[in-house]
Formats: sequence, C-alpha cells, structure tokens
Amino acid sequence: MTAQVPSMLVRLAERRATGALLRDTGVLYLADGAVVHAESPAAPGIDVLLTAGGRLRPELWREAVDEAGAACRIAGYLLDHRRMSGGELEIRHLSALYDAAYFALAPDGGPSRFRHGAVHWFGRVRPVGVADVVRETRRRRRYLDDLWPHSHLDAAPPVRVRAAPLPPVTRRQQDVLDLADGRRTPGQIATRLGRPAFHTLVDIRRLAAAGHLETGVRTSDRSTATAPGTRTATAASAGSGPAATTSATARTAPGASLAPVLPPDLTGGAPDVAVLLRVRDALEARL
Amino acid sequence: MANTETALKDAMTSIEGVIGVALVDYTSGMALGTLGGGKELDLNVAAAGNTDVVRAKVRTMELLGLKDEIEDILITLGTQYHLIRLLRGRGKNGLFLYLALDKSRANLAMARHQLRAIEADLEV
Repeated sequence: MTAQVPSMLVRLAERRATGALLRDTGVLYLADGAVVHAESPAAPGIDVLLTAGGRLRPELWREAVDEAGAACRIAGYLLDHRRMSGGELEIRHLSALYDAAYFALAPDGGPSRFRHGAVHWFGRVRPVGVADVVRETRRRRRYLDDLWPHSHLDAAPPVRVRAAPLPPVTRRQQDVLDLADGRRTPGQIATRLGRPAFHTLVDIRRLAAAGHLETGVRTSDRSTATAPGTRTATAASAGSGPAATTSATARTAPGASLAPVLPPDLTGGAPDVAVLLRVRDALEARL
Repeated sequence: MANTETALKDAMTSIEGVIGVALVDYTSGMALGTLGGGKELDLNVAAAGNTDVVRAKVRTMELLGLKDEIEDILITLGTQYHLIRLLRGRGKNGLFLYLALDKSRANLAMARHQLRAIEADLEV
C-alpha cells in the first residue's frame, strides 16, 4: 500500500481530482489535481502556525473562522481584511502544507482512501503540484536520515541526556531541549513552540546526533560514549569483544535502526563504507 | 504587497545577469519558490545545499559570541556570483533569498541593492 500512495496521487492529479486523500497519519487536500492543503495530527495546524508568537491575534483568527469558515475561504478573508500580506500568508501556508504532507505521506501511514469533493475550510492559497509535494517529502525523509538515521525519533517523546560535557546548542535547539521532558512528543513540542513539526524533527535529530537526546540505543557506559555516534565509531573500529557486545545491544534495542548497518563480523578485513560514512556524518553533526 | 511568485519574478527581471533565484526555508532546506536556473543549475539542490552554508555561518557567529545578524553572504565562483540574503521581519524569519548571477553580466552592488528592495516588497 505504502509504495502505491505516490502513484495513487499521480493518478488523482492526472484526473484533476478534487477531494481529500485520507490516511492514518494525515490528510492531503486536492483541488483540480493540485495539492491545496494538508493536515496531520503530528504537525501543528495552520491556526497554530499563524497565531504563533502573537503574529495573528487569536481573536482575529476566530473572527476569520466565524466569518469565512463556513464558506471555506478563511485565507481570502485574512487577505481582504489586510490581516496579513499575500507573501506572508503564502509562506506560512506552504510551510504548514509541506509540514503536514511529510507525515500524511509517511511510508508507514497505512492505507489511503480518497473522498471525492471534500474541500478544506482554509481556502485556496497557492496550489502545489503533486510531483513537488512527493519529491519534497522524500527529500525531507532523506535529509533527516542524513542527519541521524533513527526514524523512530520522529514520533517518540525525546529524552534528554544529562551528561557533561556536551557541545553547545543553538537558541532554537535549546527551546526544544527545554521542552524535552520524556513525555511530550515532537509534535507537541512543535505546537508549544509554534514551529512546523519538521523543523522540530531536524532539531531533534541533530540534538540526538550530538548526544543531547537519547537515541534509544542502550549503553552500559555513558562516560566513555556520550553520543551514539561515538558508540558506533567504537564498535566499528575496535573490532574486539566489547565492541561486538555493543552492537548486539544495539540490535536488540527497541526501534533501533542502527543494527542493520553494523557488519555482523566486526573482525572482517575490508572497511565498511556505510559505517565510515555514518561516523563521518555523526562527527560533522557534532561540529 | 508582493506574493512570493511576484517577488521572484521581480528578481528575475529587474536584476541584471540573473541565472536563477529561490526563496528558501533554511531549517528544512526547502525551496518555497524557484525561478530560472534551468538545466545548468538545479535550484532545489542549490537551496538545500546552501542551507548548510547559512547554518555553518550562524553557528560560527554563535561560537564567536558575535551578537550580530547576517545580512547577506557572497560566494564568488569563476563565472558566477551566488548571493544569499537572509530575510528579516514578520513571518520571514528563517528564510533566505538565493540568487545566482552570471559574473560577466552582473553588477554586484546593484544586485545587492535590488535584492534588498525585493525583500522589502515581500513585507506587509
């Protein structure tokens, strides 16, 4: 089913379909075969992104919903009443659209249904082609995996590592760390911060790569290996008994996608290019 | 009160020697809009790659303790200029305009000036 979602989308685009593509992880709205909106329970909605940081006062948002929600033209209302410029509305809307689409088109998002004729209440801003959305969604998935290849971090509540010393973080990353209490999911953190969920996932992967957040790979000795990246490096280069134990632990850890990359026989002669690339990426992420 | 498409079109038509222009979100590396580029320059790839340039510079400034903001970044190639202008202001934080110019036809000072005007147009 998962591989069929893009081809189903392409067929809908070719037929210039209008309606909603429903999946467990989100909804994609099409109009005349182009994507006009997307929503996902894992990403903050357009209302959150527009009112974030007091940009649009909540009462003005409610007014727009009351006045234009039933007619499905909130975007038009915001523009007509000069609540926002065309450029800013477009930027924020596209940002919300691609953000939710990333989850709606997730490979493990379950079966898809298409409800013909469904229209989103926000109204049309700037439709984007199905091909663009599919390409960008794939690029985002690759991008996250290049940062730190542990996709379970996208959904699991991030857990802080309180070990010193850790590399300094940026202000935006600090905001994420401050909210990582082991209970809030990445989506909830994004909503609290009023930022797109994907941006929060980028920060989470970087923080995990740098050792600030748990990756979900258990280790018995954190003092010698503060970052998961360091652990990988140790396992790959040492090739001795303890390193093999580390890889075995990694393999049994729940949701750890580290395992398939580690060679089963660490004493083998040829260097494992995939591991070396990953070590390099992890080191770069710590820069 | 330009929308993004108009702003990119302005950049394409008003700046001398433009090869391509993109409006990029630098956290996700996504191009919110692109114009020009063609076969010689894939702007989506350029957008994603140049976010690393911006990130590295922002990071360096934080490490140096410089309490300042980047206005633009210029990269000079043998035959091209690449200009990155970070956008400020409401709703535009975390975005940059990326401009690729033909070095033999472009006037760098003019291009920077016009890019600033286009940024202002994106404002309310």
